[in-house]
Formats: sequence, C-alpha cells, structure tokens
Amino acid sequence: MVTGGTLLTQLLNGLSVGMVYVLLAAGLSIIFGVMDVINFAHGEFYALGAYLAVGIAAALSGVTGGFWIALVAAPLIVGVIGGLTERVTIRPLYGRNPLYHILLTFGLVLVIADGIEIIWGTQPKNFAPPALLSGPITIAGFQYSLYNYFVIAVGALIAAGTWLALTETRVGIIIRGGSQDRGMVRALGIDIDRYYTLVFAFGCVLAAFAGIVLGAKQEVALGMGNAIIIPAFVVVVLGGLGSFRGAVVGGLGIGIVQTLTQTYVPALTGVIVYLLMVGILLVKPQGLFGNPEWQNHGGEEGDLLTGGGGGILDTTTRRYLAAALVGVLALVPLGIGVTYSSYIPNSLVLNVLVWALFALSLDFVMGYAGLVSLGHVLFYGVGAYATVMMAMYVTPVFWVGLLAGVALALAVAWFVGYLSIRVSGVYFAMITLGFAQLAYNLVTKFDITGGSDGLYTGYDATYGLGIGEVGQVSLLGDIQLFYYVVLALVVGSYLVARQIMRAPFGSVLQAIRESEDRAEFLGYDTVEYKRRAFMVSGGLAGLAGGLATINSFGVGPSFLFWLKSGEVIVMTLLGGMGTLYGPMLGAGAFLGLKEILLTFGESTPGLLGEVLSQWQGILGLIFVVFVIYVPEGLVSLPETLQARFGAGGGGGGESATDATDAEVSD
Amino acid sequence: MTPMLELDGIESGYGETRVLGGVNATVDEGEVVALVGRNGVGKTTTLRTILGSVEPWAGTVTYRGEDITDLGDVETVQRGIGLVPEERRIFPGLTVTENLELASYGGSETENRRDLDWVFDTFENLDERRENRGSDLSGGEQQMLAIARALVSGADLLMLDEPTEGLAPMIVDRVMEVIEDVRDAGITVLLVEQNVRVALDLADRAYVLAHGEIVHEATPEELRADEETVERYLGVSFAD
Repeated sequence: MVTGGTLLTQLLNGLSVGMVYVLLAAGLSIIFGVMDVINFAHGEFYALGAYLAVGIAAALSGVTGGFWIALVAAPLIVGVIGGLTERVTIRPLYGRNPLYHILLTFGLVLVIADGIEIIWGTQPKNFAPPALLSGPITIAGFQYSLYNYFVIAVGALIAAGTWLALTETRVGIIIRGGSQDRGMVRALGIDIDRYYTLVFAFGCVLAAFAGIVLGAKQEVALGMGNAIIIPAFVVVVLGGLGSFRGAVVGGLGIGIVQTLTQTYVPALTGVIVYLLMVGILLVKPQGLFGNPEWQNHGGEEGDLLTGGGGGILDTTTRRYLAAALVGVLALVPLGIGVTYSSYIPNSLVLNVLVWALFALSLDFVMGYAGLVSLGHVLFYGVGAYATVMMAMYVTPVFWVGLLAGVALALAVAWFVGYLSIRVSGVYFAMITLGFAQLAYNLVTKFDITGGSDGLYTGYDATYGLGIGEVGQVSLLGDIQLFYYVVLALVVGSYLVARQIMRAPFGSVLQAIRESEDRAEFLGYDTVEYKRRAFMVSGGLAGLAGGLATINSFGVGPSFLFWLKSGEVIVMTLLGGMGTLYGPMLGAGAFLGLKEILLTFGESTPGLLGEVLSQWQGILGLIFVVFVIYVPEGLVSLPETLQARFGAGGGGGGESATDATDAEVSD
Repeated sequence: MTPMLELDGIESGYGETRVLGGVNATVDEGEVVALVGRNGVGKTTTLRTILGSVEPWAGTVTYRGEDITDLGDVETVQRGIGLVPEERRIFPGLTVTENLELASYGGSETENRRDLDWVFDTFENLDERRENRGSDLSGGEQQMLAIARALVSGADLLMLDEPTEGLAPMIVDRVMEVIEDVRDAGITVLLVEQNVRVALDLADRAYVLAHGEIVHEATPEELRADEETVERYLGVSFAD
C-alpha cells in the first residue's frame, strides 16, 4: 500500500540523497565544462572531505559546535588541496585529449584513496551529527528526520548560491562562457586559464561538503568515493555535461527515482539509473540540458598520442626481442621448484597474459579507431560469465565455454556498438560506462548468474578437457597445460590483430582516428568500420574474460567492476597506445609493479613496509608522473630517452625496454 | 607614418603543414584593408597568427611600434586588437546581455571601447533581444552581436573573418553598413572576405592572397580593372 505519508517520506529521502548528487554533479559538470577534465578523483575529494571532518570533529571533541566547525573547515581544506592538485598535476595536461585527464585523475583516485587509508585506517568511522540535528521532527502531523531536512535545506542553499554566482557575478559569466567556448573567451582578451584552479578548487569544496553531509548520515568508510563517483557521472551525463541546470535536475531526479525504486520496485534497484542513462543518451546524446553546439568551436582538443614505432630499435631488433620474450615466457614454467614456486607462472604470469589480451583488445578500438571505451570491462565480464555459465549449465568442455564467451561478447559488442557508436567522444565513453554498470548490477540480480556471490561452485567436469580440469592438467609436475593454452591464445590473438591492422581495414581505422571527417569524405562508412572494430575488440576482451575465469575457477560481479575498465585503460596508455604490443607490455609493467610492491611491502617491517603495501597509491603516483612526462607510453621510452640524452642515451633506452620485458617474464 | 599593424615575412602553419610562406602587409590607422583570396589560401590563418592563437614559424608582427609576434591571443587582444571570428562564435548559452558583459570584462581600455548602452542604442535588434540566448538569434543578429562584442572589448583594430558568410543578401547589406559605421567611428578594420564584391566595396586597399603569399596589392578600383588578377586569384569576374 502506498500511503501519502510513506510516499512523502520516500520523496524526502530521495530529495536528501539527490541533494548530495547535485553538490557532486555541479562540481563535476563545471569542471568538465570549463576545463574538459573528466575528473574521476571527484569521489575521492568527496571522501577526503568526510574523513577530514571526522578528524576535525574528533580533535575538537568537547568543544561545542565541533560539527559546525568541521562542516566549514574541512571543505575549505579540501578546496586548497584540490587547487594544489590542479596546479601540479592537471595544469600540465591542458590542450591534450581528455583521455589523458581520465588516466591522470584515475591515478589520483588511487593516490588519494590510499592516502586516506594510511592516515585513517580501514575501520569505518562514525560521524554523528550534533544533537541539535538528530532525531525526528513533526511538522503538521508528519514525522520525519530532522537531519534529512537539514541536508535538503543546506543543499538547496548551496545550489542556489552556486547558481547565483554563475549567473550574476563577473567570474560566473566568464566561467560559463569558458565552458561553452574557451577559445572565444581568450579571443576577448580574458585569460581563462587563470580561472581553472578556482573552478577545480570550488568543485572540490562542493564535493567535500557533500561527503560530510552524507557521511554524517551513513558512515565514513573506505570506498565511499568509488561508490558514489559513477552515479554522480550518470547525473552529469543525464543532465548534460557542463550544464548546471542539468546537474540540479539530474541529481534530484536520480535521487528520487533511486529511492522510489528501492521501495516500490526493488527488482530494479541499481539498474534503473543506468537504464535511464542509456535510454536518454540514445535519444538525446547531449543529455537533457546539454547543448550540442557547445565546444564545437573549441578546436583545441589534443590528439591521442600513440606510442612510437620503437624509436631507435629497428623492426628486426624488435622482432627478435618479441620472439625472445615469447621464448622466455614459454620457458618460465620450467623454473618451478628451481628458482620460484608454481605461483609465478601459474598465477602471476597467467594473470599478466590474460590482462595483456584484455589491453590488446582495448587498444584495438582506442588506439586505432580513437574510440575511448570507459566500459570495456563489459565485454571482459560478459565473456567470463558466458564461459562459466556454459560450463555449469550446458557442457563443461572448456573450448565450448570459451567460444560461448567470445560469441556472447561479440554479440554484446555488436549491440552496444550499434546503439552508441554514432555518438562521439566523451558521450561514447559515458554510454559504454553506463552499459557496463548496467551489466554489473544485472548479474547481482539473478540466481542464474550467482547473484552478488558469483559462480564459484567449481565445475563438474566429467569428460574431455573440462573447464575445471584444463586449469589442472599437468604436463610435468606443476607445469600446466593451461599455461601454454593461454600463451598460445594470447600470442595468436596478437598476431591476428596485427594482421588486421596491416590490412586495408586497419588503415581505414587509423585514418578515422586521425580525422573522421576526411575518412568519410573519401567515401568510407566510418560508423560501420568502427562498429566492426568494436566487435573484434569485444570478442578479444571476451576471450580474456573467459580465460580469467578458468584461472580463478569461477566468476563474480567483480569481473564487471568499473575499476577494471580504468585499470585496462591505464595499462594501454602506460604501454603505449596504437601499437598493439605496447598495451600488452603495459599490462606486464602494471601487474609486475603491483607484485613487486606487494612483496616488498610484506617483507619490509615498519612504516616503509606499510607504505609500500599501499601499492595502489604508489602505482597511482607512477601514472600521474607518466601521463605528464611520457604520454606516448613505455614503448616510446627509448626514443624519449634518446631525445633527452642525445645519441649516447641509446644504450639506456634499450635497457629500459629490457626492464619492461623482464617485468613481464619474471 | 608608421603603419598601425605590420606583418613582415610571416610564415606559419599547423603541425607539419605550412600555410603561410612569408606574408608582408601593413594596415594604417583608420583604413579598411581587405584580405581576399580563394578558399584555403591562408586568410584565416593570417588573422590567427596576428591574434597569436597560432604561433608564427618566422617573421614579425608589429602593432603600434611594439613587436607582438610572441604574444598569445589574450595579450594581443588586451593591446586593442579585436576579432570577429569565422562563424561568429557567439556563446550559445549566454544571453545577448551576458555575451556583451563577458566581452566588457576583457579586452583593453582604449578610447574606442564601447559600453552596453551604446550597443543597445546602436543595434536596435539586439536591444529587443537582450534576454535571448545566443543560440536563439538569427545569423544576422549573431553577426551584429559578434561585432558589438569586439567593440565592447575595446578593439582599435577590428579583424573580421568572413562577416557575410551564410547571410541573406539583405542582411549582408546591413552588415556592410555596420562595418562602414565602425570605420567612420575611427576604428581600423582588417577584413577577410570570400565575397570579393563586398570586400572591394568596403575596402580602401586590398591584398590578394594566394598559396600563402601576398601576390597583389591594389586599391579596389585597380583590382576591378585588373581582370586577369581577379579571375586568376579570386575566380570571379567583374565584366558583367
């Protein structure tokens, strides 16, 4: 029964959650509009605000009004940190393709999240609102939480203040103009760059404030940033990137829809938001209030920087290196028991190979067709689920499972590509993210996909090379057949991808990346080409996902978690986009580094060990440095070093490549 | 008299592509100078290089005796050079008033700086549409607003890039009147125009640009009489 009272309660709940979204989305949206920065770190500034407030309130315990001081002071501190972050890390990247901001802010996510963990630990913090705001209040016979009223009122006040500042002040008009056509603001003699720090810091203040008010309502815990950033993006995209009105309407709308769905249609919880997002973007790609004309004249969008052709290493040398690398990889299992345990080949290197394949699949569309897929984990996850489900419900023969995974990933890629490839740039990235989140939430809903536990029950393999078995067929001792199956499939996939890229199809794709218009003028159906490339890529990602499940004996929702999409983008850029082999090396470097940090962290006592075991933060820092100084990736390192140190640096360049190779293999 | 603006051997381009191969030109105070030529010969690139949004590879740009070659667009505009860009580039989400206000926050404090009241007195159609968003204006209204915006930012030297492009003939006449008014108010004009008739009607002097170089300099009368040049470089004929 829906009574007036409960409906009103739900609406108010929705409004209070929505206000938090509004505060987050307003900052995200303005930052994107003015600076073209897709700020994944926004959620971490939100979390940082909440943690700082906890810290300040704790330090002031006993002082009356500690909560209020924290509510004001913490956002201001976060604002300063945000401003400094913009100055030091984001500023060097202006004028580059927004993709680099994604990588950079993704690195910042890891750094800030780990910083929070080091300072405040892993235990959730309780942050209670003051007595003044606690308890229910009855107005006109209707009883409701006073604190929620407070959230709604304060949120509305801040949103209104922001709106006034944007429309009525000099700075506000400059910022709005900048979000519509930055170049023209400059051509009026206004140095818009000067306002970037201010905009970023202000966005961080809003985010921190949102973190505090929501943190005091729920709890302050690790991962609160990761949990909120994707819904916040949905709000921004739904409302229209760069539109303040969109952020307000989208934020309140999503808050209310979410809450009502939870109460009245629980089956759709978690799904409805992404369904809405995908649906609206397909009908109105620029979002509800976005203006398709905006930024058309920007014309400053930087190119995607692809990795060099190996620089000083000529083709023959590189071919030898590649052959040597494959040879080393083939020999790795022989060292089991001699120099290391079976963990190295059967878990670590296998994992590297699988991720190398996943990164290869992303490079196929991102590096060659310029399609930035923020939801590539969708195909990886779909392939994984299909492989496991085939094995559990139909036949355990492993290659049938793998084929099913590839086939389903292909089909999903066709579907997603069919719907979304005609929208370009950031909107494409967001739609793919939306689809991936949709899948992530869907698999937790159904028993057939194992719900939120996933399917890890083991396989009933009775004949042939069953899925469960193929991971356990030993050739000799701990040397396993599966290792060689994966190695062969990964190398084979690389060779096939390379062959495709050398064929006319690949040339057309690269022409599209350079200039879609010109490729179109030459008479190519660019949309069709991109769709086909997307399918190939989806299939390869599905294969990677399928292989991963055999390694992990099952599949769970984490196979579809958005952070994986971020990680694979990082690997691709780290290695060097548009080279196919670069991203594969990037996967090796990423996972190798992670392994090294973890090992050292465990074995090193004291503070240093503790810091080292925060591997994510250290990796994050490395990405930040990398994206600023080596945007072409590892494969261009020899060339970059040579350019920096003159001809004499050639040797150094080679050893840098060797170091990468070593990380892949040991 | 030293010219107000002097281009000396300007070479420029994008990435590896050379667009300008040594442009020499001058603009005197109070003049209307037209830069004409076929599509893709480097007219817009010349304006962008003067403005500083494209960095020249070689040569110098001198404005009122100051070497402004290495200045960026913001600093150039702050010295009194205004741009009415190709396709007008009105801020689509800002109202007419806000578009003008934004311009008034930038630019330079020159004697020619106009305020919003002047704009609304001069352009009645903009006065009526004060609170309309830029995207709701017609092409002609947008062009007026783009010119007004540059004047509000205090342009002494107004650079117009294809101001009549895509406008109905009646509106073209109105834009021409406005440009004449601007000239009469003492503002110097550098006009890039594909429509040669418009350009020659307005200009005191014209440069013909072809494959990145100035191939001809003449008064409008001389150019109209010089059928060969006109046909060869501009692809139009005044014979009829």
